[in-house]
Amino acid sequence: MKKLAKKTVVIVGGGLSAGLVARQLTARGVEVLVLERGGDRTQGPEARLPSQRDELRWDVNQGLIQDWSRETYTARHNSSEQAVPVRWMEAFLPGEGIGGAGNHWNGHTWRWAEYEPRLRSHYLERYGRQAIPESMPLQDWGVSYAEMEPYHELFEQLFGLSGKAGNLKGQRQPGGNPFEAPRRTEYPQKPLEITEAGVLFKATCEALGHHPFPIPAANSSGSYTNPDGQKLGPCQYCGHCERFICEASAKGSPELLLYPVLRQRKSFELRSHAHVLGIDYDARSKRARGVRYLDLRTGQVHEQPADVVVLAAFTMSNTRLLLNSRIGRPYDPATRRGVVGKNFCYQANASIDLFRKDHWFNPYFASGCTTTAIDDFNNDNFDHRGLGFLGGGLIGASQSGGRPIKTRRVPPGTPAWGTAWKQANADWYNHAMTLTILGSCYPDHDNYLSLDPVHTDVFGQPLVRMTFDFRANEQRMLAYVGARMKAIAEAIGGDAIGPLNANIAPFDTRNYQSTHITGGTVMGADPLTSVVSPHLQHWDAANLFVVGASVYDHNSSYNPTGPLAALSLRLGDDLLRYVARPGWL
Amino acid sequence: MLGHPSSDPPRRGFFKQLAVASAALPVGVSLVAPGTASAASASPAAAAQVAAPDAVLGYQSFSATEAAFVEALVNVMCPADRFTPNGVDCGLALFIDRQLAGGFGQGARRDLRGPFAAAKPQFGLQLPLTPEQHFKAGVAAVNALLASRQQQPLDQLNPAEIDRLLHEITSTPRVVDEIDLQVWFNELVYPLFTQACFSDPLYGGNAGKVFWKLLGYPGLPATNALNVVQFRNKPFPGSQTPMSIVDFS
Repeated sequence: MKKLAKKTVVIVGGGLSAGLVARQLTARGVEVLVLERGGDRTQGPEARLPSQRDELRWDVNQGLIQDWSRETYTARHNSSEQAVPVRWMEAFLPGEGIGGAGNHWNGHTWRWAEYEPRLRSHYLERYGRQAIPESMPLQDWGVSYAEMEPYHELFEQLFGLSGKAGNLKGQRQPGGNPFEAPRRTEYPQKPLEITEAGVLFKATCEALGHHPFPIPAANSSGSYTNPDGQKLGPCQYCGHCERFICEASAKGSPELLLYPVLRQRKSFELRSHAHVLGIDYDARSKRARGVRYLDLRTGQVHEQPADVVVLAAFTMSNTRLLLNSRIGRPYDPATRRGVVGKNFCYQANASIDLFRKDHWFNPYFASGCTTTAIDDFNNDNFDHRGLGFLGGGLIGASQSGGRPIKTRRVPPGTPAWGTAWKQANADWYNHAMTLTILGSCYPDHDNYLSLDPVHTDVFGQPLVRMTFDFRANEQRMLAYVGARMKAIAEAIGGDAIGPLNANIAPFDTRNYQSTHITGGTVMGADPLTSVVSPHLQHWDAANLFVVGASVYDHNSSYNPTGPLAALSLRLGDDLLRYVARPGWL
Repeated sequence: MLGHPSSDPPRRGFFKQLAVASAALPVGVSLVAPGTASAASASPAAAAQVAAPDAVLGYQSFSATEAAFVEALVNVMCPADRFTPNGVDCGLALFIDRQLAGGFGQGARRDLRGPFAAAKPQFGLQLPLTPEQHFKAGVAAVNALLASRQQQPLDQLNPAEIDRLLHEITSTPRVVDEIDLQVWFNELVYPLFTQACFSDPLYGGNAGKVFWKLLGYPGLPATNALNVVQFRNKPFPGSQTPMSIVDFS
């Protein structure tokens, strides 16, 4: 093993979080090394026409996704079962390569509700001491929305967000989301174009007294230059966002907006094909000495010393690195003690298809965020007294592409093959729309991550084992919000309305739901219930930091990118202070 | 030429059918020689002087028995009708063969390491088989099931009998020679069938973009910044003449 020259800050994982942390640090000349297991995809067939538009290669066969033959996850529904490896994961899609999952995302970018970083306190204040079930370890994050707001704003400017403010400094704005957390400024760009499905949904929701709005998008509605001088082109509504790299430079992506800037900076270095095996940890001095990584081009293992180590890998990988490096106490569901792996959450989603011969929906005219939505039944935007659950869901008319292998809607009862099947596809492909719920998912004592006792990755290290199912809270939430969505579907009306398809218990790894998995290395003010401090500093190593959706104490219905980006930028600023004067932040 | 399978002899020579599938592709585009089209577009005169590479029309993965099975299967699942030619002529059998012979069939990027244990279906297949091995084991198991009922192999059945058999397989759990036929069909065969129909013609299926035309899917290049406004709630003319990766290669 070769010992390399020491670096000031080493960041594990070359995705969105790492790019944002590095941006803040290298702007002030702090030395940063990013280690990314994948390569540079910006010049490959995945990023160029015509090969970019290959549904079979990039979508069905997961051309941009983690190589499951090298590393997968084992899974079980509760801690009494034996876990098995998921040999081909469909439920969520970790990225690989510079930019990480940020290169193949749809672009939904939310500020979470103002009360979410203190969700436990919020529920107790609103509904009383019995509000939170004993099985649900909700906890406050130890950070406030007000502290994160300037970083939300910076990220939205960096990624050129398209949207419509609903709450400017507490003033409601027509056309925006009235439930939005207060913003100091309008979105950098106007919203994306509305789809025909959005037009129908908007009119119906307004008639029902709901509050429809265009969802905030990291898909560029126009030509845009960000504060770093990086440019976005206008979105072409090609319907190839999620699972694809945008060849039109129109999707806010780390490899487009962050890494080209970083590469120009003298104090920045990126090593690709560097698979980090673990953190070298000195338990006596409670310090991380650096990391060990495998160079996937040569097979050689290198020891990389560092003053500061930042874990900025995917949710699962951050947790796995801590567990495999034996840093922090692993969570034990039997005693409910320990912290690493706890509060693992996902997202509870559902959909209804609508068929209307009198409308042309043209599903292929889409970006990842051509969605008109309502927040009226989301999170705690409605009164939960007597409902028997907490949380909620975003209901929207979402249209993100008409890619023909996987996006063909046919009415219930359509045969699976033959002439009648073709007839239904011909009749309805351009005449169907979908309503969706993206639902919150709160922690449960028996949903957690741990090391698998049997299965290893191809390098011999234990795999992460996920113990997860949708528990009663999420099932009740989806039943309630699903009924609200069904009422909207019936009000829109149609030649046929499909059933409520809910991704609910038992959790099914064969169906894509979202890549929004959270928790495992949660943040908080109490070292007994959190892995990292409110400044993302590991309680057992002052020079080790963890950032990403793995620090979330619960998952909202919104996707995790917004707070993740805000926390990453804030961490970059915190590390400037730490590097100047090491100690507890 | 594109008759209903019931009018065809039970086991047609698949090379003959592949020639038909190939003929359905645009002129100058070979199924397996992607360099041909770009060479031709670079210099038509030069291309005329260079002999075109032979079109490779054999199956890479299937045995004759397997080919007959799959051809009969896709011709039932995709009969010749007012929408498309029969499944073989749409390139569906060729697509499935190529997928099984290639990375997908060989288990690329799929975890196939032991130990193996039975698990709930929600955690996905737990088999030491590659998708190609699994596919072939299922073909043999279906024919074994038929043999146990004193019936001929699947390709010898008439379309109505095959259709009934497929409905039985998809609706009734049954394990034959260690292969769960319902899982085999629903999680391996059926996805391959829909991919064969709707993927870019680059991979040998969806010949002549017949399935994209059926849907009204315009394909490439999909630069729709103006179309999304101009054709909101209107039929999009581009969906009548879809373009594929092959057309831009």
